[in-house]
Amino acid sequence: MLELFADLVLMPLIAFLFGLVLVLMARRVRAKIERRVGPPVLQPIYDIVKLYAKKTQISHGLMHDVSIMMLLGGFITAEIFLPVPGLDGLAAEGDLVTLVYIMMVPMLGLALGVGSCANPNGSIGISRALTSMLAYDVPFVVVIAGALIHYGSSNLIDVVRIQQEGGVSTWGVTTMPLLAFAGLIAMHGMLGKEPFELYIAPAEIATGPMVEMSGKYMGALFVMQCFQFYTVGVLYVTMFLGGGEMWLTFLPKVAAVIFISVAITNVFGRYKTEDVIRWMWRWPTAIGLVGLAFVMLKVN
Amino acid sequence: MIGLLDTLLVLALLTTVGLYVFGANRFAGYIGMAAYAAMTVIVVLVGQTLSGGETAVPSAMAFTVLGYPMTWRIDGLGWFFALLTTGAGFFAAWYMSGEWNEAQPNKRIQHGTLALNVLAMLLLVSSGDFLSLFIGWEIVSWAAFAMMTQLGGPAATAALRYLLYALAGAMALFAGILIVRSATGSFAFEDFAAAVPNLPTATKWVLFVLFTAGFGVKMAIVPFHLWQAPAYSFTPGASSSFLNAVSARMGLFALTLVLIKLMGPALLAGMDIAYTWFDARSALLWLTAITMIVPTYIALMQTDARMLLAWHGIGQGGYMLLGILVGTPLGLAGGLLHTFNYATYQMALMLAVFAVVHRTKTADLDELGGLITRMPFTYITLLMGIIGLAGLPPMNGFVSKWMIYKSLLNTAQPLLLIAAFIGTLGTILSVYKLIHNIFLGQLRLEHREVKEAPLSMLLPMLTLAGIGFVTGWMPGLALSMVDIAQSALGIGLQPHHLGGVDLPNGSLNMLWVVGVLIAAIGVGALIFYFLGNRRWEVSQYDNYAGGHFLSADVRYHFSHEFYPGLARVIGPWYRGWVVKMERGLQTLVAVLGDLSGGVFRFAHTPFYLLVAVSLGLLWVGLFGKI
Repeated sequence: MLELFADLVLMPLIAFLFGLVLVLMARRVRAKIERRVGPPVLQPIYDIVKLYAKKTQISHGLMHDVSIMMLLGGFITAEIFLPVPGLDGLAAEGDLVTLVYIMMVPMLGLALGVGSCANPNGSIGISRALTSMLAYDVPFVVVIAGALIHYGSSNLIDVVRIQQEGGVSTWGVTTMPLLAFAGLIAMHGMLGKEPFELYIAPAEIATGPMVEMSGKYMGALFVMQCFQFYTVGVLYVTMFLGGGEMWLTFLPKVAAVIFISVAITNVFGRYKTEDVIRWMWRWPTAIGLVGLAFVMLKVN
Repeated sequence: MIGLLDTLLVLALLTTVGLYVFGANRFAGYIGMAAYAAMTVIVVLVGQTLSGGETAVPSAMAFTVLGYPMTWRIDGLGWFFALLTTGAGFFAAWYMSGEWNEAQPNKRIQHGTLALNVLAMLLLVSSGDFLSLFIGWEIVSWAAFAMMTQLGGPAATAALRYLLYALAGAMALFAGILIVRSATGSFAFEDFAAAVPNLPTATKWVLFVLFTAGFGVKMAIVPFHLWQAPAYSFTPGASSSFLNAVSARMGLFALTLVLIKLMGPALLAGMDIAYTWFDARSALLWLTAITMIVPTYIALMQTDARMLLAWHGIGQGGYMLLGILVGTPLGLAGGLLHTFNYATYQMALMLAVFAVVHRTKTADLDELGGLITRMPFTYITLLMGIIGLAGLPPMNGFVSKWMIYKSLLNTAQPLLLIAAFIGTLGTILSVYKLIHNIFLGQLRLEHREVKEAPLSMLLPMLTLAGIGFVTGWMPGLALSMVDIAQSALGIGLQPHHLGGVDLPNGSLNMLWVVGVLIAAIGVGALIFYFLGNRRWEVSQYDNYAGGHFLSADVRYHFSHEFYPGLARVIGPWYRGWVVKMERGLQTLVAVLGDLSGGVFRFAHTPFYLLVAVSLGLLWVGLFGKI
């Protein structure tokens, strides 16, 4: 019981702290590519403290506030169902499918919050965000289905165990490389990185989910980004890179996965919404389906 | 000897007569509530008998038609659908008990048709052989038709189309039943179940196609789906939500009865289609996959809140049939549980939408917005409902969909799993559009004075949403009811506990999932309220517009064409394929109708009669059994 309680506290905490590192890494990598020095090590923490301490904290009603709670709550829950080295949390009580759907709760929370701000520009952002979600989730579910069939279990603890018992040759990335590749692309879309960053649209502040978010609302979105980096990275490592045996190898793997995403993102422009859909439904989905065919051949 | 089932049917009959006579009374809603509550109690008692080891509760009512016995009895499967029927009737009557009732011009018809539908559906689910099944089926079809046509207008037009389908379906059903009779020598379910494995493959195929088409019309499986959304949407609120929640599920009941209980999934899986990888079961599974995806994305394109939900109803029916056809205990439990869950959240959603219509006089998603400040409780109902419909935790829709996904995984059918996932993704987009366009964004000037729906309408809505939440948190409660239905199917039960199911390769315990989710949102609330500077609330219209001119005098709500990017991708496909198919089918039906009408009226009627009689006699002569 005490152990479980420790899991419940530690898992989200580690996720947040390592998420800060990942955010820092993303900003540093971008700075290096643009030949800047980049922010100091503690900059993500400064940012969060600054945002929470701001004097201007504008709320657009109760739903706006509740959405912020759903946002954090959804990700905290997701961390508890995602096994990491030594900490299984509640991963045995809900499986990968549950996790995927829990990860949609923050998305729904954000969407409801932005909608209740009554800013049409925010609604446009959510319309784009949900459309991109539909775009990248189609290859993502192909990948999930293939991986689940391959491992024969949707319990993430089993998925990790199968890969660790057999070593690198049983890692998802070696046994189903096509699905791993499609999954990487879908994950890149999930992180909202160029060329799929239409919904965040940082270049047009007036249009996007963030338009009415100030102070700690923005701070919560920042925290959400930390969680998102970490969750997506850990999920990918769990499914394809052998999960975590020990923290010393696990965290670098997570960082490496996120590094791929943040390194390639800077060389792209931005796709229009319909182009995101067409691209995502065409290439990663096709690659994923071919990978799925190989998995089915092996299973039968 | 008057048993429980007889009491139930007599009570339903008395309610129908009583409400038809006294339906215009202002207390009619309460009379209905009391009657449906009493029926629900009787159904619960029947359930206790059934879970006590009885296989069926018989009725004393029995006829002999041309030497064939016709009986009524209710088994676990029928019981499950009877419970949904009386429950939905109760909530519909509750909704009609106050202000709604007073605003209706046709109170008597609304109450009367509701009671008639409940009676018809109870008769159908308690049918004991193919003869009573056919009669129940016909009564259900006509009762639904009476409900849909009560106000005329677009619903009646669509209902006429339904009638055409239903008549064709009834013919198919009738032909199927005659073949059953000629193959087994009786109309009894047991005889058919015993004889069907030994029938020739061609007969099995004919039966499969006839029954699937006949029942599929009611269930609105693609391609028999075109009538349902408009017919269900434009009937008055309580009737419409009753139709949406349970009426189409009668098709599911009959399909489950014939395909799963009598024929069995193994038999269907053995009926291979030559030169393909398909068999009867997998072909129907793929039809359900299309039913999950296509209507869902059609729903996404709707601009009328009622139509949007009704189209989702068709899509959700696909999930139920999918789970049931998978045929494993887990899949069956998932499909049946989804039927229950769907009834709770769809009814809550429809009632909430009709509460909005009641207050604002419109269901046009382009003409609403910002109502969250005016109708907060209706908003909460709709929010809980859409979370259920989208199949996200913590609501009950997630549990049943999870079981269906899991059964597909365990039977290694990844493509169907992907189809189910894709349907769910579309649902998420579509339900967000629903709640956003009605409740979020900017309030329109003409809706500034709108009041919250009255308690008589709010309470049933909130209760249904509450049931959805509780059975999401503790799915074991609903799964115990599913057990009774499943025990009648002879495929085995899915072991479960209060929180969900334990499986060797990935379990689900909603007690933890929901508990942790709520606790985590609580942590989110603590962080929000106790960390950082104080928030202050501004007017809804105090927005940052990035230099554009947006003021409180000019309301702007981004609602028309909510997903323009997606519309540009699937819009051409929608217009090119779905709309054309619909028009084509309509034209085809019209042409066929004209043609046959013309032939019958102007050509040689006696000649055709002679041909028909001769052919019938020839058939009797050749096969000699009827």
